[in-house]
Amino acid sequence: MIAENTQTQMRKGILEYCILSIISRGEIYASDIISELKQAELLVVEGTLYPLLTRLKNNGLLSYSWQESTSGPPRKYYQITADGLQVLQKLDVTWKELVFAVQTAIGNREI
Amino acid sequence: MNRTIIININSIVFHIEEDAYEILRSYMIEIKKHFGKTPDSKEILEDIENRIAEMFTERIQTGRKEVINQQDVNEVIALMGRVSDFENDFVDELREEEGTVEPEQTRAGLDAEQEPAKESASTSEPNFTFTASKKLMRDMDDRIFGGVCSGLGHYFNLEAKWIRIIFVLFFLFGGSGVLLYVVLWAVMPQALSRSDKMAMRGEAANLQNFKKSFEEEMKGLSENFSGAGEHFNRGARTVGDILGRIFSIFGKILAIFFLIGFGCMLIGLFITFVFSTLNLLGFKNDIMLPPLEVMQPTEAFFALLAGFMAVGIPTFAVFYLLLRVVFKVQRMNNYLSMTLFATWIVSIVMILYFVVTTQQQFREESTISVEKPLDKSDSYVFNENDVRVIKASDEEFNSKKFNVNVKGEKLADFLRQDISIRFEMLDSLKAPYIQYNYSARGNTYQEASDRASRIAYQVKQDKNLVSFDSHFAMNQKDVYRDQNVRMVVYLPVGTRVSLSNSLIWKTRDIQADACRQDDKKTTEWIMTNKGLKCIWRMEEEKLKAEEEKLKAEAEKKQAELEQLQEEKEKAVEKLKEKIEKEAEKQTATATKA
Repeated sequence: MIAENTQTQMRKGILEYCILSIISRGEIYASDIISELKQAELLVVEGTLYPLLTRLKNNGLLSYSWQESTSGPPRKYYQITADGLQVLQKLDVTWKELVFAVQTAIGNREI
Repeated sequence: MNRTIIININSIVFHIEEDAYEILRSYMIEIKKHFGKTPDSKEILEDIENRIAEMFTERIQTGRKEVINQQDVNEVIALMGRVSDFENDFVDELREEEGTVEPEQTRAGLDAEQEPAKESASTSEPNFTFTASKKLMRDMDDRIFGGVCSGLGHYFNLEAKWIRIIFVLFFLFGGSGVLLYVVLWAVMPQALSRSDKMAMRGEAANLQNFKKSFEEEMKGLSENFSGAGEHFNRGARTVGDILGRIFSIFGKILAIFFLIGFGCMLIGLFITFVFSTLNLLGFKNDIMLPPLEVMQPTEAFFALLAGFMAVGIPTFAVFYLLLRVVFKVQRMNNYLSMTLFATWIVSIVMILYFVVTTQQQFREESTISVEKPLDKSDSYVFNENDVRVIKASDEEFNSKKFNVNVKGEKLADFLRQDISIRFEMLDSLKAPYIQYNYSARGNTYQEASDRASRIAYQVKQDKNLVSFDSHFAMNQKDVYRDQNVRMVVYLPVGTRVSLSNSLIWKTRDIQADACRQDDKKTTEWIMTNKGLKCIWRMEEEKLKAEEEKLKAEAEKKQAELEQLQEEKEKAVEKLKEKIEKEAEKQTATATKA
């Protein structure tokens, strides 16, 4: 139970960072984000992504534009905003610190 | 072969197999419930729907596979993730962070106990065609009378008891609540099937909710079995409930009273109808509605029938309604109620028709005037001849007894007694006569005068005895058209008349009652220059006048007497003064001397 909880906490912390990172590379469609996250085995189902995207967008870190699709309804393409970039830079710093901290903590232990 | 359903997701139309649709629908409900409490739910749901639409589009291959099947839906759901998957991820914590929902409730909200009405109210509806809209229906599971109040309660998201209290208040203020209730009862359909019930509560009919509704029903059923007392205690927890119960009991008692009242009214109506019909068919009895007399029997029967329906059907409707309220009788068959309603309308139209046509029959009035001489005599005895009384019996006792016996079967039918007698004076040398004025009404003047001419009324004279029939006969085929006989009896001045008391009520313009004396069966009159005068009244007046004259004379004499007395006294006093003066003179001369 404790393990699960910690896992959730850890994932939760980095998920938004990862999403921001992926979007910062350029305009992207939600399901493409999913497939990248799936590849990274961070997220399994699409349903989880939409609340996160909405929340980031509502906080002004993301914006989206509608684009016509060849297969089906128009798609929402997300891009990062200036605010989002600033946050991302801060998170980058934090991530480096975290990596350093975690590496130090792990030390020589095999993982 | 499978039935397909057409759905519309974000303006894109899909054909979907029925079972696949059920799965999708219950999935969307789940999702809706899960995200329903977050402020972004609308957008999130739109995104999800959009994505589902896209994934469906990808799965459709025009010409080869145009219908979404169960497999497609399952695959899409697997990709999108179940609510349980979301919970394992981060979303629920995200939701907690938002601070919009208490954690406990979030979890509880996923269970079936969640109030469905609230759910649908707080969730903005996505574009799915299956989104539930509420229907106004009568809740047959939670009812006191017809379930109208609880149905309204579901519709307006209020507890039924408040609606009930409102209705009772309406009832107390002029009874308008009853009318409103009756109308709503008639208008609102019963929620009988499970899907009806869910529509009534605003739940979309899907597998999950079906299950939930079924469970609720089972719960309710087991509660019902577990003792009435316990049920009552539970129900009586709130004041509102107690009030509701009191009102419902009160209402039922009231309903029973009304039921009895309306039942009696129906019976009364029926009896009136039957006996009036018998009357029209020739079996005479005392129950006859006066307006029917003006119509031909066949017409009258239809008018009677229409009248009976026009009054009876609404009475019956209210009666039946009360019956339903009190004894939970089945709702009336639709065909029957429609037939009754149509009959009622027809009967109203018929009544209007009869009123108008009958009124037409009274449009014109005609009077035929005939003068017939009377054999000359110094005095007459005017008598009434009651045509209904068998002549043989003269005694009053017998005449009363025989009053019901009529000559001939249908005599009473065309006997009328709208007869009046007036007296006018003639010069003492002229011969007396009677002027008969026969009047009747009709559609045309010709008809009216024909009808008037058919009135058979004639005074019979035997020397000085003149008999007025108590009734006149209309022609047998005639109906009542205000037929009447107005007679003017012209008598020379000085003619004496003895009026039988039974005739008095036919007379006009004379104070016949004032002339009546308790011990006499007739009143005595005399024709004067000023019309017919009551003899004993005249004599009395004469006596009075004489008395007054005498009195006046006596007074006059008295006054004269008094005057004489006065003069006498004055004379005496003068004399006295004279004597005194002389006495003084004498004394004066005496002293001088």
